[in-house]
Amino acid sequence: MSALMTTTYSMWRLFRNCRKACELRYFDELVPLEKDGNLSFGSLIHNALEKWHSVHDIKQVLELIDAAYPDRIREERELSDWNLATAMMTSYAECYPTEEFEVVALEKNFEGPIVNPDTGSASRSFVLAGKVDGIVKQGEEYFLLEHKTASQIDASYLERLWTDFQIILYAGYLEQTMGIRISGIIYNVLVKAKLRQSKGETEEEYQTRLAELIAKSKTGKSSAKRKLPETDTEFQERLAEKYKEPGMFHREVLYISRDQFAELRGELWELSQALLDARRRKAFYKNTSYCFQYNRPCAYFPLCSSGGNPNVIENLYQKVAPHEELREGELESTPQF
Amino acid sequence: MLPTIKTKPKASLFDLTALVYGPSKIGKSTWCSNAQNALYLATEPGLNALEVFQVNITNWEEMLQACQEIAEGKHEFKTIVLDTVDNAYRMCSEHVCKKFKVEHESDLGFGKGYALINNEFQRVLNKLAFLPYGLILISHSHDKDIETRTGTHTRIVPTLPEKVRKIVTGLVDMILFCDLEMKTGEDGKPVWTRVMRTKPSPNYDAGDRTGKLPEVLPLEFSAFEKALNAATAQPAHIPATAAASTATASAASVAKPTMQPKR
Repeated sequence: MSALMTTTYSMWRLFRNCRKACELRYFDELVPLEKDGNLSFGSLIHNALEKWHSVHDIKQVLELIDAAYPDRIREERELSDWNLATAMMTSYAECYPTEEFEVVALEKNFEGPIVNPDTGSASRSFVLAGKVDGIVKQGEEYFLLEHKTASQIDASYLERLWTDFQIILYAGYLEQTMGIRISGIIYNVLVKAKLRQSKGETEEEYQTRLAELIAKSKTGKSSAKRKLPETDTEFQERLAEKYKEPGMFHREVLYISRDQFAELRGELWELSQALLDARRRKAFYKNTSYCFQYNRPCAYFPLCSSGGNPNVIENLYQKVAPHEELREGELESTPQF
Repeated sequence: MLPTIKTKPKASLFDLTALVYGPSKIGKSTWCSNAQNALYLATEPGLNALEVFQVNITNWEEMLQACQEIAEGKHEFKTIVLDTVDNAYRMCSEHVCKKFKVEHESDLGFGKGYALINNEFQRVLNKLAFLPYGLILISHSHDKDIETRTGTHTRIVPTLPEKVRKIVTGLVDMILFCDLEMKTGEDGKPVWTRVMRTKPSPNYDAGDRTGKLPEVLPLEFSAFEKALNAATAQPAHIPATAAASTATASAASVAKPTMQPKR
């Protein structure tokens, strides 16, 4: 009997959105050689929040952020992310010095069968695995804690939360494996401040501005001074002020309906049957409507648009085993030697 | 309309598209000048030492005009050398900015300027690549810090903007990196030889979808030609034609009827 293939909701979602992208990631195991800066920032904030909720010590959280950006002195991008992460977590700690909930588990992994809703029998090909950010207890009720970083929180962002089927499905699996009833999900949203560290003026820019001011001045003079680059401390202060504004941290609670579990499990079963068929017939077709979701090209766009040119695979991609998100926690607990 | 026989994998240099890149003055243009019946589309000075057929290209309109004449086929040229592809892209960028009356591509907002330039550039390169001539694109090389999952690595890549690098990588059959290789001479002193690297590495861009080339070649056109024409070698990757047919379809969707300059 062949081993069951581990799957995640991310994989099923990708399969539903674009079968070709799913094949490239989960069967050919290709990922872009270059890391997506936005994803790595989100991942760091997840780790920082996990640390905060486990030890409640901002010093340790900031040490974790410092270690994540070792080249911030010479790398502008690293410095920018370090400033943002530092200000975000410092302000988060001030915003939520105590919590109304009690942490039951953090970064909790689970694995369970994919079940045929008609017969109740488990798939002989796939299992579903996943990881939730946290499980918390508020009063007598259990909730999943889900961290999110967002560029902004508007009406559509909040309305879209109920379509987060992944977390609802995970709640169903955790209920089974842990034997507790999950009432809902606490979305813990942190907004990324859009401030930029000022680089100051060059001498030439200053002279131009000064000349303009003098030309407008009735006295023919100006006391304007050259704008100097903003130091990290000054920028941190400005970011801290920004994070005092309401809406930069937001908590939204969503209650789960039992019907949603059944619906999503049925959907998952259908997807698993479609994947078996696609795998058997090697038919992973493209969904070109998905190429530019979120107004940016899919990670596999260069490969698809080249018609599968091996030069693209060899120079722009690398092989990485799937489901990295499940392994992140393991690395920390595995002895180094 | 529909084919009745399968196309054969590309075998001759006259059917292939290659990107040749490397440091300045290593001999990229000299190497290309040995290609049979080569025509240079010279977008930058530097060919003075070479006796070659060349068209000096100073703007995108001239580039389109030259491409149109090549496509008409009333000539003996068999290989087109675009020297350099970087400058051609710059001219394309200026052309689009002029057309849309903006100073810089970013002035069009939401990345529209970049997309317009890339589409125009890709349209022309695709059309050139599908002509029955060899196409060699020349670029310089530079070190680029690439942030990967395991840390930051330095990689030698062509000096093309990132999106253009992806377009060109997907278009060409071969990425040939001109490099210096150090060997120890008989007197124990280092001896530098000029080589061409043809296979991918974590340290530089390179690739050969014909599968016919050895990993390293002397930077001599005769050595390259000999390896390419070796009868025993078989294609190592997916048949070039499979990708080419897909690329033809995508090129057709962006292609415009002629390469005439727009007036």
